[in-house]
Amino acid sequence: MNDDILLAVENLSVALPKGGDRGHAVADVSLSVRRNEIVCLVGESGSGKSITAHAVLGLLPSNLSIGGGAIRFRGADIAHADEGTMRGLRGGAISMIFQEPLSALNPLARVGDQIAEAIVTHASPRPSRAELDARVLELIAAVGLPEPATLVRSYPFQLSGGQRQRVMIAMAMSNNPALLLADEPTTALDVTTQKQILALIRRLQAERGMGVLFITHDFGVVADIADRVVVMRGGRVVEQGSVDEVLRRPKDDYTKALIAAVPGSRPAAERDRHLDGEPLLDARGLNKTFVTAQGLFRPHRTVPAVRDVALSLRPRETVAVVGESGSGKSTLGRIIMRLVEPDAGAVEFAGMDFLQLRGSQLRAMRRKVQIVFQDPFAALDPRQKVGDAIARGPMAYGVPPAEAIADAKRLLARVGLEASAAERYPHEFSGGQRQRICIARALALKPMVLVADEAVSALDVSVQAQILDLLAELREEMNLAMLFITHDLRVAAEIADRIVVMRRGEIVEQGDTKSVFTSPQHPYTRALLDAIPGRSLFAGPEAAATLDVMTA
Amino acid sequence: MRALALSITGSRGVAIAIAIAQWLVRFVAVVLVIATFNFVLVHAAPGDPAQVMAGQSGSADEQMLAQLRAEYGLDKPYPVQLAIYLKRIVTLDLGYSYRQQRSVLSLIAERLPATLLLTCSAFLLSLVAGVSLGTLAGVRAGKWSDTALTIISLFLYAMPVFWLGLMLVLLFSVKLDWLPAFGYVSIGVPMTPFERVVDIAAHMVLPVVSLGSVLMAIYARLMRSAIIDVAHQDFIKTARAKGLKRGQIIFRHMLRNAVLPVVTVAGMQAGTLVGGSVVIETVFAWPGLGRLTFDSVLQRDYPLMLGIFLVMSVIVIVLNFLTDTIYRIVDPRVSLRAAS
Repeated sequence: MNDDILLAVENLSVALPKGGDRGHAVADVSLSVRRNEIVCLVGESGSGKSITAHAVLGLLPSNLSIGGGAIRFRGADIAHADEGTMRGLRGGAISMIFQEPLSALNPLARVGDQIAEAIVTHASPRPSRAELDARVLELIAAVGLPEPATLVRSYPFQLSGGQRQRVMIAMAMSNNPALLLADEPTTALDVTTQKQILALIRRLQAERGMGVLFITHDFGVVADIADRVVVMRGGRVVEQGSVDEVLRRPKDDYTKALIAAVPGSRPAAERDRHLDGEPLLDARGLNKTFVTAQGLFRPHRTVPAVRDVALSLRPRETVAVVGESGSGKSTLGRIIMRLVEPDAGAVEFAGMDFLQLRGSQLRAMRRKVQIVFQDPFAALDPRQKVGDAIARGPMAYGVPPAEAIADAKRLLARVGLEASAAERYPHEFSGGQRQRICIARALALKPMVLVADEAVSALDVSVQAQILDLLAELREEMNLAMLFITHDLRVAAEIADRIVVMRRGEIVEQGDTKSVFTSPQHPYTRALLDAIPGRSLFAGPEAAATLDVMTA
Repeated sequence: MRALALSITGSRGVAIAIAIAQWLVRFVAVVLVIATFNFVLVHAAPGDPAQVMAGQSGSADEQMLAQLRAEYGLDKPYPVQLAIYLKRIVTLDLGYSYRQQRSVLSLIAERLPATLLLTCSAFLLSLVAGVSLGTLAGVRAGKWSDTALTIISLFLYAMPVFWLGLMLVLLFSVKLDWLPAFGYVSIGVPMTPFERVVDIAAHMVLPVVSLGSVLMAIYARLMRSAIIDVAHQDFIKTARAKGLKRGQIIFRHMLRNAVLPVVTVAGMQAGTLVGGSVVIETVFAWPGLGRLTFDSVLQRDYPLMLGIFLVMSVIVIVLNFLTDTIYRIVDPRVSLRAAS
């Protein structure tokens, strides 16, 4: 049995430089990966899961180093191995893939050359040109990329995110590694692409009998791919066991809380919110095409972002616009806010023709539609105090400063922060807290419509659940209508009364949340639902029913 | 398959032809605009060449002035003069210098090689040295060698170029007597062609080093920060995870990515080099275009000034084109993105 163990991390500690919020990045971590098994390392941001994986390959940032413990690979301790030994392992017996396929490849080198480099580095004697080319083509075909002969000559920017991640995987597979470290390899991808990449990793693992240490924050992905699970929190392992044990009968409270926070796994909210009345916002025939000039004699490049879209929003209603990247969902949100002018179409808002308003009339209406963005780190001015960030909006509309600041403090308390936060700067807050600040800023103008553009996508699941709860409370208190733009159907299911599914600029299906989930009409909607990770465990509002079918 | 390959090369050929045609159209337009602009600027100044010539001949009366003006076409209205001037440019006739009694083109042709030799050498030296030192400092960021390089490059950057030139002359010519202090080539010494080349090279060392070191300091600073930037990017981690050696990572993955901002800035500065060598040419008595420009301005030699301005602008435009081309070669995203 012990012969089977490929990687054993024993009591690993990595110290943080002084001045951090804790002494250790990881402390006393023990875990093992056997041949032919996938171990998922799960945790929220800052849990030390990524540091653990980087420590295995000796790829820690220069200010961190292994403090104590052992890392045994095939029995030999490599925790303090010299650089030469580690170089031999990296990309050879142990390879690694990363989260960001967009930046993980050298932008100036051809894809084929980058894969060939991985082969040549570990091959002795150096293979002939023909052997090398053949091997690269074989790898590209193995990871399911189209037209290998053309693809080897491509540059990374010519490929999609999913294709680039496949190239990364091909590179990692080039020397038939015994162990693959996968650091959130599907987090940055669309759900349908994620499903394909997970299937690919699973297939390659089974074909080659690899051990895989798969890092993720998503219990849905865990349910789909893991044999065993290790849960980390604050640099320590809180629970580990087989996937069934951990997901169905978690022992640790933190694990329970994490699983409960996975969107879609909670009992469906009360759906009938007694929504009625005339639409507050009614958009018809919206079209937007982006045109890029390409020089004097070349035709312009046109990208239709939104095509013939009609959308209505009743008072207090939450409509989720769901789609993958490039579906035009964000452009639609910006047209509704008049941040982008459509080429054609009309938006009727509170009885007025929103697109025809000019000057002071437009300004008066603008405050009625506010937005919360995806990235809470980029959405706040780093040199502006939080209180100012919230109060400046109302002040611009003539509210006296003292009153606006007092209001801002009330709002901060309402979104769950201290009133004293008003005097501090954004960098003093975590991602979730910043998103609360952004919500307070949007609500300070007392809007009728709140556009939430992927507002919870960058947050950990537990924080995500809190923000969703907060939004659900606020929409009742302030009679808000919400346009909730997201790529994640599970999140949409949590909060939306109605779901609109977009693909390539067009609405392919819309309906109330329950019917979209239980009887999707369009094949694309069905594909999206199919691609939700962990469907066997958590499957939208109908979780219980599906689960029974699966276990039956 | 073969047909596909052919059609790809065919369309690429067409794309290149279109790009060159675009560039030529822009080139001619820019040159004409610059020529017009120069003409207007020069004629906005008070006084005309006829007055200068008459003044210097010492026998100026109204009749002679008029005669001179008629002789050189200076009595015609400005738009007509401009049209004549532009027409001449198109036929590569840059006019005649009354002061030097020679054609402008031959004057420039005589001086241009010396200036190009000086500035191109200085430019290449500064690029090669700047990129190498910057890379070295960047990969050793924070260590003492980085600090030393940073101090040296700041020192060079802050130094006036003429002062550096004078100090180098004092040390290497006056004190050590290793290198000639000024001029382009030793005069009055019989030399074989090979000896002549060596002699010119020896004369070049000091002016090239003076002119190049300031630029080198700029490129070294730029390269250093670009290297530090690139070193933190994800694909460098990917390269490490492949098991590459440090040197391989630097040469295969970091250099090409980091050199892009240097190419941009170098391209902009290459243009100013041609005109900016006046000071160095004066300090080292280098018989180049810079000195000729200076003299032509002092002597109010309009045709010569206009001719030099025009040649310089053509050089700048060509350099810009070269920069763009080099950028496209280094970064395939620029041309492929535009074409896709």
